[in-house]
Amino acid sequence: MLSIKNLHVSIEDKPILNGLNLEIGTGEVHAIMGPNGSGKSTLSYVLSGREGYEVTEGQILYEGEDLLELETEERAHKGIFLAMQYPVELPGVNNMVFLKESLNAIRRARGEEELDSVKFMQLVKEKAKMVKLDEKLLKRSVNAGFSGGEKKRNEILQMALLEPKLALLDETDSGLDIDALRIVAEGVNALRSPERSVVLVTHYQRLLDYIQPDHVHVLSEGRIVRSGGKELAHELEEKGYSWLKEGAAA
Amino acid sequence: MTATPNTVDELIDRGYEHGFITDIESDTFPPGLNEDVIRALSAKKNEPEWMLEWRLKAYRHWLTLEQPSWAHLNYPPIDYQSISYYSAPKKAGDGPQSLDEVDPELIDTYNKLGIPLEEQMALAGVAVDAVFDSVSVATTFREKLSEAGVIFCSMSEAVQDYPELVRQYLGSVVPHTDNFFACMNAAVFSDGTFVYIPKGVRCPMELSTYFRINEANTGQFERTLVVAEEASYVSYLEGCTAPMRDENQLHAAVVELVAMDDAKIKYSTVQNWYPGNAEGKGGIYNFVTKRGDCRGERSHISWTQVETGSAITWKYPSCILRGDDSTGEFYSVAVARGRQQADTGTKMIHLGRNTKSTIVSKGISAGHGQNAYRGLVRMTPKAENARNHTQCDSLLIGDTSGAHTYPYIEVRNPTAKMEHEATTSKISEDQLFYCRQRGLTEEDAVSMIVNGFCKEVFNELPMEFAVEAQKLLNVTLEGAVG
Amino acid sequence: MSAGNEQSRQWFEDLAHSGQVDLPSEKLGWLDDARQQARQAINTLPVPYRKQEEWRYTSIDGLLKQNFQPVNDPFTALQSVDLEDWLLPEMDCYRLVFANGRCVPHLSETSELPDGVRVGSLRAALTTDPDLLATWFGQTANHSQHLFTALNTVLINDGVFIHVDSNVKLDKPIEVLYLSLALEDAVVAHPRNLVVMEPGSEATLIERFVSTGQSVYFNNNLSEIILNESATLIHHRVQDESSQAYHLSNLFLSQQKQSRYRGTALALGGAWARTEYKVKFLDEEAECRLNGLYTVGEKQLTDFHLDIDHAKPHCASEENFRGILYGKGRAVFDGRILVAKDAQKSDAHLHNANLMLTRNAEVDTKPQLEIYADDVKCSHGTSVGQLEPEQIYYMRARGIETAMAQKMLCLGFADEIIDTIEIEPLRQHVHERLHNALDRVVSEQLQAEEVA
Repeated sequence: MLSIKNLHVSIEDKPILNGLNLEIGTGEVHAIMGPNGSGKSTLSYVLSGREGYEVTEGQILYEGEDLLELETEERAHKGIFLAMQYPVELPGVNNMVFLKESLNAIRRARGEEELDSVKFMQLVKEKAKMVKLDEKLLKRSVNAGFSGGEKKRNEILQMALLEPKLALLDETDSGLDIDALRIVAEGVNALRSPERSVVLVTHYQRLLDYIQPDHVHVLSEGRIVRSGGKELAHELEEKGYSWLKEGAAA
Repeated sequence: MTATPNTVDELIDRGYEHGFITDIESDTFPPGLNEDVIRALSAKKNEPEWMLEWRLKAYRHWLTLEQPSWAHLNYPPIDYQSISYYSAPKKAGDGPQSLDEVDPELIDTYNKLGIPLEEQMALAGVAVDAVFDSVSVATTFREKLSEAGVIFCSMSEAVQDYPELVRQYLGSVVPHTDNFFACMNAAVFSDGTFVYIPKGVRCPMELSTYFRINEANTGQFERTLVVAEEASYVSYLEGCTAPMRDENQLHAAVVELVAMDDAKIKYSTVQNWYPGNAEGKGGIYNFVTKRGDCRGERSHISWTQVETGSAITWKYPSCILRGDDSTGEFYSVAVARGRQQADTGTKMIHLGRNTKSTIVSKGISAGHGQNAYRGLVRMTPKAENARNHTQCDSLLIGDTSGAHTYPYIEVRNPTAKMEHEATTSKISEDQLFYCRQRGLTEEDAVSMIVNGFCKEVFNELPMEFAVEAQKLLNVTLEGAVG
Repeated sequence: MSAGNEQSRQWFEDLAHSGQVDLPSEKLGWLDDARQQARQAINTLPVPYRKQEEWRYTSIDGLLKQNFQPVNDPFTALQSVDLEDWLLPEMDCYRLVFANGRCVPHLSETSELPDGVRVGSLRAALTTDPDLLATWFGQTANHSQHLFTALNTVLINDGVFIHVDSNVKLDKPIEVLYLSLALEDAVVAHPRNLVVMEPGSEATLIERFVSTGQSVYFNNNLSEIILNESATLIHHRVQDESSQAYHLSNLFLSQQKQSRYRGTALALGGAWARTEYKVKFLDEEAECRLNGLYTVGEKQLTDFHLDIDHAKPHCASEENFRGILYGKGRAVFDGRILVAKDAQKSDAHLHNANLMLTRNAEVDTKPQLEIYADDVKCSHGTSVGQLEPEQIYYMRARGIETAMAQKMLCLGFADEIIDTIEIEPLRQHVHERLHNALDRVVSEQLQAEEVA
């Protein structure tokens, strides 16, 4: 599904990713872990096409297609979804209107029929229930004045609604208490399917207690320094990231 | 923006006329303004002596005035002697004969706005003999209105048919001495609308100049007077979302509203006159004086405006809150893009006790547009417990536009309370990225954000108008980003 | 221009000719030039009147009725004054004392200044530091901004000169005390100040305007303040002139890269007092924070004009002014933030709040934004209101008398500004001054209510 080869990325001429390689197969769940500043968020933003991230070398193939050639929204149309660490506020833009616009844009791109208001309402309510998002929040402006947990749940709601092929969750666990974390994790688990790949970007291992990854990668200084199964996450938890650095130095 | 600019300008240069009025044979005065012109104009309209005298008094006063220069506007001097002060509609046949002859970009804009075909023809000045639905609808409505006792007619008719009412109220809110442009209007106003709602009557429908579509060419020096007697209600819609063509570059309209005890007037405007081409050539100069007098206790006047057109907008719809417990509102969306300049806002003059006013102004600047909010809130010594809340927001799109805020706040009463807030924001890269990541195009994203920004104002418009206004804004801002 | 205005101009011309300038220096070309230009400006500049936007709410008619005389020898009258009465207890500082616009060296305290710091009179500096003056004089001020600044320039006679060398950080504040002696004539002074902060320097400056009696006089003050790269100036001004006095301050600030200015402007006295701040950012990342408090009572007028020019990107400015009005007090607040084209990432906020305690008070406020760049954070806010009856009720229900409750609420309102003064003796002084004023106001107001 996704194949990243020797990816180098700079922000304002400062290299952040330095030759990252990563293969993600259909239906797999990958966790990417790493200390602060290792380039985790950069990877998510490059995959989703945020401006200001300059790919200086390497390539990214998504379903065999050169991902870097695609506009941000085209990537979304083709099933890439990024749940952001800090979801943006859109004052005055009604959440419901926003969700409907988003969903129908993607449905159009897929050649599916647009949903009318009635069907959309049913769908949204069902999904909101799943992520335990207060329906009142649907009527408010997007993320404006939402608590941290509400924002994250709103992200998962969008994911549930848009049914992406490749879901990138950037530090989705940050700022969540244990209950909110469980709800978010349940949401993600409910969306696991053989057709959908998930990339969890996280600093801590605790999210992985709730969402079992197939593969764990450790990102350090802009490249993947170690890959393994879910046991790698536990090892990291025990020994800390410094262990890796020592390992690398040795 | 994909639509209009150069081509509309060319259309204007071609100089065709509104062509959908067939029954009035008329001529055009040569350019120039003097007492003889005013006498001739008044005679042409068969006006009574007092009307002529009023016009002449205004004209003489106008000669002593200088054109105001305090607004944040930049335009070449206007030669008032080069304007023709009477030009009735020409015969059909001068304009394009069908929509095929009209610039396709203009048609494209109409289609984007979802304007029905026959209205498109009217707007583009295509000569048609068929009677519009809207006109016949208007006739039906007029009957229904007269049953309710509502007077809704042109100012010319009103001068003939209801001279006492006109004489009593005309100039009572905006006196001829008020300002340069209002004074000029008093001297030369061509026509306009007169509305009278009798005591206790709730006007059975939204009144709209749109129904008076057959009375064209009143646009240049239009004069509107709305009188709402005790406990009456009226909602009045003015303008049109479609970019209406007009060959007159200078517009100086006056609107006067009078609300007696418990009366309520809601006045909504969508202004989309030609803004000029990319270099700012040829757009309309719109100098408008609008004022409402809350004369009665508990009276209410609400102004809502969506100003997307004109090269120059100079407009401050105001409320004089004279009656105790009266309320005034001003909701505004003003767009300045391309080379447009807007200096608009309101005045809230609190005279009575417990008077309340609300101001919500949303300015959008894009391209080289300059958008200024200018507003006055005055609480006089007798305005016990007066309240004002002002919210003034600017949205900047691109780094070549300007957004300016000039509030004037004068408080003379310790029990009065006022709050004014102003913010400036831009459409952030983050917001756009977020929307695009969710699959929206940049333009959809911009239009969603802009509509969100303007929501408080659109909420005040009558429903179908709000939908149109939203569409209009989207079309107006197409291509403004990037 | 009307005949009335031409008569008004005569007032300025007469005043310009009445001053006897007797500077001790050799001929200084730059000073002569500045004076010459200002003299010409007095013949040509428009006379302030209310149709001009910047004088819309402030009439100078009262000023024009006065026949002000210059004072050339304030020293005789000074002999009967005990300076101690005017000093703040426990205030450890370097000090300059001015009497009616002339520096009084024997009352000043500048002997232990650290190396690299000059604090003294402008008059003396003409002899001791002519080169420094020639470099910096007139660099920020437009001598002919309006007739009053031109007048000041024509009549330069003395003022404050402060120069802090690169990277020198002053250990103690500098206090300048402007003493206006109560004289029989209505007198006028034109203090002319120049403050130059070289790169990386830091200082705190306090200016206090006081008078020995309730006489009529006019202080026409002009200050040029230059903050070079990374310099910091903390600047507190306390205007506490006589209740008959006219006071005009024009402050011109220019700020270089990463310089910081933090100011407090307190206007408590004067019959007619106007202060204009003109701040210009000449380079990026400069910062200006200005807090203000004004109290105006019986027949007082206080007027603040702020002009903040974000000419360069990445600068921050924040102005927060509060006013308490009572009696027939009138306040004018006219703030303007200009963000120039390409001054991206400007951060500019302007706020003005007013508390009106009595019926005949009047406030006119005009917070303006003029913005020509899009990536900016700008806001302004304004409010006018009175004490909340619920709050007073609540306090009374807890056993506090009405007068006390009102006073506490007013002080709470003012504290947001006063508490930004970090010099304890000064903060204390302002607090007490306000306390006493409010005591009077509140009791008078209660009496008036009882009578009514």
